[in-house]
Amino acid sequence: MNSILIVPILLPVVTGLLCLLISKRRILEVLTFFGMFLTSVAALVILLGDSLRLRMEWIDFSYFRIEFDLYAYHFSSFILLACSFFGLLVTIYSLKQMKDKDHLKDYYCYLLLTVGFANGALLSNNLVILLIFWGMIAIMLYLMIRSAGIHAEKAAKKSFIIVGGSDFLMLLGVVIVWQLSGSLTMTDMTIPVRGGLPTAAFILLMIGAIAKVGAMPFHSWIPDAAEVTYTPVMAFLPAALDKLLGIYLLTRLTLDLFVLDNSMKILLMTIGSITIIAAVMMALIQKDLKKLLSFHAISQVGYMVLGIGTGTMVGIAGGLFHMLNNVIYKTCLFLCAGSIEHRTKTTHLENLGGLSKSMPVTFIACAIAAFSISGVPPFNGFVSKWMVYQGTIEMGGPFWPVFLITAMFGSALTLASFVKVLHSVFLGQKPKEISEPKEVEFSMKIPMIILAFLCVFFGIFAQFPLKYVIGPVLGQHFAGFGEAISFSGMWSPTLATLLLSFSLICGIIIYRFGSIKNVKDGEIFVGGESIDGEEVRISGTHFYDTIESMGFLRILFEKGKSGGFDIYERGKSVLKTLSMILYQGVDRMIERFYDGIQIVTIELSQYFRKAHTGLLTTYFIWFLVGITVLLLILMK
Amino acid sequence: MDEIVKGIFYVAVFPGLLFCGSVGLLLCWVDRKVTARIQSRIGPPWYQCFIDIVKLMGKTMIIPRGSRRAGFLLAPLVGLAGMTLVSTIVWRVNIRPGASFIGDSIVVLYLLILPSLALILGGSSSKSPFGALGTSREMKMMLAYELPFIIAISTVIIKTETILLGEIVGFQSLHGVLIGHPSGGIAFIVCLVCMQAKLGYIPFDIPEAETEIIGGVLAEYSGVSLAIFKITNAMMLFILPLFLMTLFLGKIHFNVKGILVALVEFLVILLLILLVKTTHPRLRIDQAVKFFWWIVTPAAVAGMILALVGI
Repeated sequence: MNSILIVPILLPVVTGLLCLLISKRRILEVLTFFGMFLTSVAALVILLGDSLRLRMEWIDFSYFRIEFDLYAYHFSSFILLACSFFGLLVTIYSLKQMKDKDHLKDYYCYLLLTVGFANGALLSNNLVILLIFWGMIAIMLYLMIRSAGIHAEKAAKKSFIIVGGSDFLMLLGVVIVWQLSGSLTMTDMTIPVRGGLPTAAFILLMIGAIAKVGAMPFHSWIPDAAEVTYTPVMAFLPAALDKLLGIYLLTRLTLDLFVLDNSMKILLMTIGSITIIAAVMMALIQKDLKKLLSFHAISQVGYMVLGIGTGTMVGIAGGLFHMLNNVIYKTCLFLCAGSIEHRTKTTHLENLGGLSKSMPVTFIACAIAAFSISGVPPFNGFVSKWMVYQGTIEMGGPFWPVFLITAMFGSALTLASFVKVLHSVFLGQKPKEISEPKEVEFSMKIPMIILAFLCVFFGIFAQFPLKYVIGPVLGQHFAGFGEAISFSGMWSPTLATLLLSFSLICGIIIYRFGSIKNVKDGEIFVGGESIDGEEVRISGTHFYDTIESMGFLRILFEKGKSGGFDIYERGKSVLKTLSMILYQGVDRMIERFYDGIQIVTIELSQYFRKAHTGLLTTYFIWFLVGITVLLLILMK
Repeated sequence: MDEIVKGIFYVAVFPGLLFCGSVGLLLCWVDRKVTARIQSRIGPPWYQCFIDIVKLMGKTMIIPRGSRRAGFLLAPLVGLAGMTLVSTIVWRVNIRPGASFIGDSIVVLYLLILPSLALILGGSSSKSPFGALGTSREMKMMLAYELPFIIAISTVIIKTETILLGEIVGFQSLHGVLIGHPSGGIAFIVCLVCMQAKLGYIPFDIPEAETEIIGGVLAEYSGVSLAIFKITNAMMLFILPLFLMTLFLGKIHFNVKGILVALVEFLVILLLILLVKTTHPRLRIDQAVKFFWWIVTPAAVAGMILALVGI
């Protein structure tokens, strides 16, 4: 039974490699679909069973041994299922969205391999094994972004350098952990973060986790990648899988591997709140749909990190629940963006508008996901954000108001930027350039519908995921989680939704009272102007120009846009300065030294050449003088 | 089942839609009457707002061609539903402080967004350029006032060390009303200014601005849908001051004296709002955002710091 743990790792990897051999599109799609489907089934079987463990000797030197150690318990196996499930959804979506793209078999191969490696990282119970899989996912990230073509090369390289660099830091962290605890098995260690080395180990490992999720300052690869690569890639990796993996690791680090002290919690919460507010500010001014979404993918991470950083029960539960919710609505949003791109061939907000009538399913899915991410009750984002706030307040200390205010205001800014999206893409007026697009195909609708449904379901019946998914994870760390989660006296999403729907029904009754039958269509009032003219179309792109050009915000925005807060660009400029110094200080110095020798030699030879007269007698005299001197020395 | 019947009663009759809507419409008349008196006019009779609604109910509804009908008609309901729920929560706290649930102050904060969201959605789906302008301004206004508003509410939470509305009023019964403390006073004033903006009253009626963008969001609304927007606004006129009273002046005591005191407090707050409304010109949107971010927010932060040091 324990050997089933190898299935979710090996199955997608083998299927993925098989994909490379197949050139027919149909077979490729079927193979990928079944690969993903069977992986999901295997993950489901693991989730439904008890916790499993598989150990094999792998490397054994007397002083250093690494076991191939896989361990599945409710937390890891739930994330395992989520990974495989989102892999499956993205595959279904890709069937139509990707069909006319080049290098399809590479794409499907990478998709499957990524799922396999991610499953490996989730199941591994040994830090070195985890690190190996972690690194492989980074390579897959590079390849997947790169698969969009040569123009994606730069963004792919950037992602790889940032994520790969953080993997290196993780390796350092693992070495320190090994040094401290003498073990690499994750379930065996509890290191209190006290003093230099444990703090360093925690921070290094944490960097690995938060670079994966894209928290600041390791975020800048996501928007760059969003601009160039395929939308399903974005929907799958930065929106879904990376969040699951990164937050999984961060939770394991804070709950299992380390015992945090207050300063580390404050550090995490600070990273969280800065990420929330800075990324959402950048999202507010974006003019490209995919890029805007990618900034939200960063910003939402802040809530998770903030929640986990609180270290309180409700905060961690909120952070984890937010991870789950975020994966749902963010994937949904990226898939909607993909559908729009599929039909209109653009994601530039300026060129879109009025699609709500022609693409109703996409519109409704997108609107639900947008309200969820903005934390509008009663959708799922509200419940988890509310739990994060609650955790922040419970944590206490002198800083909680700052964290709370940034988190709540970030939520308002999120709503603002999605108002912009909804207005400029779906509502508002249609620009002349795009013809009336059709709704997307059935297989593209299905994933969007499922995800939108989950947004609503998890919002209204939040107690179920909290009880069955997050409850078991936290139950072993916090006694009494079960009772707390039963929501006696807490915000009850079901009741609230019930009341909200009553009030909606009351509103509908008012409509019935009134003259709802008495409806007619009319032209909009624009004061006598022609309504077809471009001048009466107001795109949402300029909604927040007022804010963008305000006081010192303008300076911040300009700096943000030009990459001033980008660790990659910063790093690049630091390296540039460093290499400049090395160039001037070492390379040029040696060069000048050689030049100097040359000059001195030439100058000296000017004098010596005067001796070379070409007369035999002169040479003969020189010879005699020389021999005399030599004899004198020898005879001495 | 019993819960559900109770729930329906709360929402539909008391303290929800019917009660809150009627009182709100009555307050609308107060608003119009006071405004008229200040401007040396006579003003309408007390039932004017009710018959306005009745008239709107009978009017033909015109829906702009090419807009999404369902979205256009649903938008006003979102705001109505949000206000109804807020009213239910706030009244329940006043009647039975023990019945509040954890974090209801934050829930109210979020539900108060819904009326603005309704305007935003409605304006956006009406296809009208005026609606689009209104949407954009409404959203910017929301960003502007939400920051100081959140800070002011945090001040209350710091001061009372609880996020339960029930315990917030309980704290005030024991330790005196919050408005008596310097920090509470500042937070109250900040909230008052934010409320002016939430109500969309001059000088912050920028999203509607009849003389400039012909009502903005409401430009395309007519008939019942417009009536629902009007009712929502009337409810806000009733519930927002009440919410502030609950936060800063403690709960209403249900005896003759208590009710009279509450009534006076309420009318004073209302009068303050109306005086500002009638004596100020409209701001531009960038001025309003600047006002809230660079003036009101620092004031709110100052109040919060005072609360943190315990004053």
